[in-house]
Amino acid sequence: MKEAGGAGTQWPRGDFSRVPYDVFTDESIYRLENERIFRGPVWNYLCHEIELPQTGDFVTTWAGETHVVTTRAGDGSLHAFENSCAHRGAKLITAVRGNSQRITCPYHLWTYTLKGDLTGVPLAQGINGRGGMPECFDKKDHGLNKLRVATHGGLIFGTFSDEAPPLEQYLGPHSISQIDRLLVQRKPKVLGYLRQRIPGNWKLYNENVRDPYHGSLLHQFQVSFGLQQPTMRGGIKLDQDLKNTWNHSILSAQDKDNQKLVAQAYEGTDKFNPDMKMADPALTQVPLDLGDGYKTTILSIFPTLIVAQVDNTYAIRHLRPKGPGMVELHITYLGFETDTPQQTHDKMLTANFIGPAGYISLEDGEALRLVQDGISHRRPGGHEVLEMGGVGPIEDTDYLSQEISIRGFWSFYHRIMDLPAVQDKGATR
Amino acid sequence: MSDWPMAVRAEQFLYEYAACLDEERFDTWVAMFNPIDCAYEVQSRENRDLGLPLPIMGCYTHGMIHDRVAMLAKGVLTFRRYHLLRQVSNVRVRRIDAGSLLVNAGLVVHQSSEEGVPSLYMVARYEARLIDSGEAFLISRMAVVVDSFGIDTMLAVPL
Repeated sequence: MKEAGGAGTQWPRGDFSRVPYDVFTDESIYRLENERIFRGPVWNYLCHEIELPQTGDFVTTWAGETHVVTTRAGDGSLHAFENSCAHRGAKLITAVRGNSQRITCPYHLWTYTLKGDLTGVPLAQGINGRGGMPECFDKKDHGLNKLRVATHGGLIFGTFSDEAPPLEQYLGPHSISQIDRLLVQRKPKVLGYLRQRIPGNWKLYNENVRDPYHGSLLHQFQVSFGLQQPTMRGGIKLDQDLKNTWNHSILSAQDKDNQKLVAQAYEGTDKFNPDMKMADPALTQVPLDLGDGYKTTILSIFPTLIVAQVDNTYAIRHLRPKGPGMVELHITYLGFETDTPQQTHDKMLTANFIGPAGYISLEDGEALRLVQDGISHRRPGGHEVLEMGGVGPIEDTDYLSQEISIRGFWSFYHRIMDLPAVQDKGATR
Repeated sequence: MSDWPMAVRAEQFLYEYAACLDEERFDTWVAMFNPIDCAYEVQSRENRDLGLPLPIMGCYTHGMIHDRVAMLAKGVLTFRRYHLLRQVSNVRVRRIDAGSLLVNAGLVVHQSSEEGVPSLYMVARYEARLIDSGEAFLISRMAVVVDSFGIDTMLAVPL
């Protein structure tokens, strides 16, 4: 019999329009996620190839609770392994990034190649024939715990599982075309990093990026200054597993004439400020680099990667869970090798849209904080209500007022976590 | 010691700067910047050390500095309304020329929740360039370099 609460909690609806709040707060579910998701058959985002241009370059990151080092070896190949010595488990690398021709544990100086193979064990022969390692000790058996690595469009992914499908299949066609659009047609370069520690569960952020419903409601800045409106055209596309979502919006000339509709959309709230003016609107006037009309495109790849274009900002967002109630949002902010000095300057202006101080995104930190706080302090057994855009089948939409893509996330989550069968077998897809 | 009064004035100016933000006297804060030519940046220690240009918050005209706090005052942004206390310490002042000086200081920001529970919010440093008219200062450049760049939840009110 399944235990009540935690991983045993019943999911009431097969279309995932109800999500038990336990999944955001329960310690045992969090531990299970680390085993079944992050160490299971998924591809974890590690870093981008432009961060490892030279032999010996390394970057450390997180795959769930596992600290991972990614390296470039002398033959140009990429490798990833746990940041923990095969001897006594000490953390090997404390720097976030750097360059080293080998990896040496600070404790007993066990030394590894950039591919994670053990090459050096000091005093292995002992001193004067006394001490040392036994004859049966073979360095080949004591390499670092390695991940299988694959790349697409410069994004480096790693998996602990032999059962993860080929990366391209895992990403799906919408992800691949968007990665190509954002990261391949021009060579990116890192303009900087942003980090935000949000007191909310990592899956709340996954909901947030799959939730175009909130975009023009929570983010009044976008509406007040014409970047986003609830009347905009847009929609979502899901991969075959429903786990990866691409949502997009297109601002057309017609939207500028839609103020009346916008006012109706905000009826009963005290939020919309149609008369708000900026003293210096330069950042809202930066032209879009890409001439394809998309104002916002958010590609969310299960479990923790988001490749986002918000106005003329381009960024890789990575989620690093820190217990059930905390997530680090790590942002790699990108420019492109072909950018002119003016375009680079413009990207410093539009950086004010995103990150912990972003006119648009700072509010997501607040929203997650409020949800985590709210669900942690209410009667047990509650669940979310996800009905915007309709219930039942989980399908692509050509509209934005929807929560269907969030239900797609949960349907895959429920499957990969191997949670109890749902009570009602509502249609999925 | 001839610059002693100038150093004291500069220190007092920085205290007033911090108090304006603590007390949400945003108009006064904006007026502390040179209207002709000014910039305000919050930078992470991480990007600074890597030589990367991305700011956490970047305002490059007086209008942009005005807009940063106008959004807060007019309720455009939804943000955490904690009480903040900026503690400025180790103020060091160096004159560059007759009309301008550099001011460096440490900054610790404490936050207190709606129910009065305190915690540490931010650890940073001020690097300011001031214009000295002899009677008053105006900020021409203000960089706030944040050591605690894993920002707790958000940064809505400038530092």
